[in-house]
Amino acid sequence: MMELPLVDATLNAFGLLVSGDADLWRIIWVSLKTSVSGLLLAAPPAILLGYLVAMHRFRGRRIAIWLAQAALSLPTVLIGLLLYLLLSRRGPLGDLQWLFSQPGIVFGQCVVALPVLVAFTLAAVQGLDPRYAETAVALGASRWRVMLRVLHEGRFGVMAAVLSGFGRVISEVGCALMVGGNIEGQTRTITTAIALETSKGEFAQGIALGIVLVALALLMNGALMLLQGDAHSARGHL
Amino acid sequence: MSISIHTSISAAVYENENVPLRDERRKALLGVRGLRKRHGERLLFDIERIEIATHGAYVLTGINGAGKSTLLRVLGGLERAEIDSLRFQCDDVLRVHPYPRRLREAIVYVHQHPILFSTGVAHNIGYGLAMRGVAKDEIARIVREAMDWAGVAHLEGTDPALLSGGEKQRVALARAKVLQPKLLLLDEPTSNLDGAAREQVIELIPTLVEAGSSVVIACHDRDLIGLPGVQRMKLRDGRLEYR
Repeated sequence: MMELPLVDATLNAFGLLVSGDADLWRIIWVSLKTSVSGLLLAAPPAILLGYLVAMHRFRGRRIAIWLAQAALSLPTVLIGLLLYLLLSRRGPLGDLQWLFSQPGIVFGQCVVALPVLVAFTLAAVQGLDPRYAETAVALGASRWRVMLRVLHEGRFGVMAAVLSGFGRVISEVGCALMVGGNIEGQTRTITTAIALETSKGEFAQGIALGIVLVALALLMNGALMLLQGDAHSARGHL
Repeated sequence: MSISIHTSISAAVYENENVPLRDERRKALLGVRGLRKRHGERLLFDIERIEIATHGAYVLTGINGAGKSTLLRVLGGLERAEIDSLRFQCDDVLRVHPYPRRLREAIVYVHQHPILFSTGVAHNIGYGLAMRGVAKDEIARIVREAMDWAGVAHLEGTDPALLSGGEKQRVALARAKVLQPKLLLLDEPTSNLDGAAREQVIELIPTLVEAGSSVVIACHDRDLIGLPGVQRMKLRDGRLEYR
């Protein structure tokens, strides 16, 4: 029986990370691959959708905004359940044979990221000064070029949308567990592995994976901050 | 307060007056019949006709809330309104919505408080040219000239967010001028400017007409209203009066 389980487990966790434990790194790789793929697939249509809803008046616009914002609160485990039913052998998408496979997780991460990306992009574009779009239009930009200009001017908000989307997909456990099935070496991700290891009492591996999760979050946010460039303080130059 | 303006619009237009220019000047650039704008149930204005001549300079006056900005925005294709008929350069424009490409390339609206893209001063001025597919070298040359014209050459490396109101207005005028628009719609270009900044902006306006644009300026500024050669339009009680 351990007297200081947290300290011991954390020390062991660093040991595992440094020794290059193959199982551990495979889990990290699967997690990163599926999260980034899901995010990259979801981002272009979601950003486009968020932009279009923010910029245009149409019948049902408020309902679209309401649904996008409400979808933020959907538990990922419920999304996982719905996708499980869709992807199971007798489900409408059963022929794809994506259940308990990496493409299944990628599909799930796409669906999980979509509302975050849409709602945050919508808020970012809606909060932007309308003169940006009007100026681009007045100077003769096509619809496509107006969109690029507006998204560029609102890049801090759009990047925040992408970062939030990444945060949601890398940290969610429900959907990855239900759609992926937590198969060792195949569909075991950081979060599903932490859940499993903890239930087995293997705290060291769980903490090691937790450390990696935090490190990934810091790295991704750092990289995107570099992409964003320097931001003016909201207080201006006071 | 009155200021001295060395270049008057009439001088700019008539200095080298010759027969072709005089003939061109008589031509109507833009003619609108029956222009109505509603905000919900409220009728903001109901204008029987608007005539803008080639190389014409106009000021549009009216009390706050009369709809001056809205009228300019409608003419500039940024807001919709009911329009019975519209002629541009003697051709009937059959569909006004969506705003036709031909009008978009010929008519440029400049905001009361122009906003600059966060990229850079030169990029802002060259933006419209890039949208028209002008070659990069050519854009660089035109932008350099325009920066000299607007007196903003020294601001090339400055973050646009750090420019003063007058500097932003001059960059916005240069950004519109490089497109050689047939019609420039300036929404209160000197509001909130004073002293040298205001004087610099006022001095640029006659040279826009000289460069070949018709200009409509919504304003309260007496020095702009009093510029020689400028025709006055007043928006009152939803009607447009020519003075």
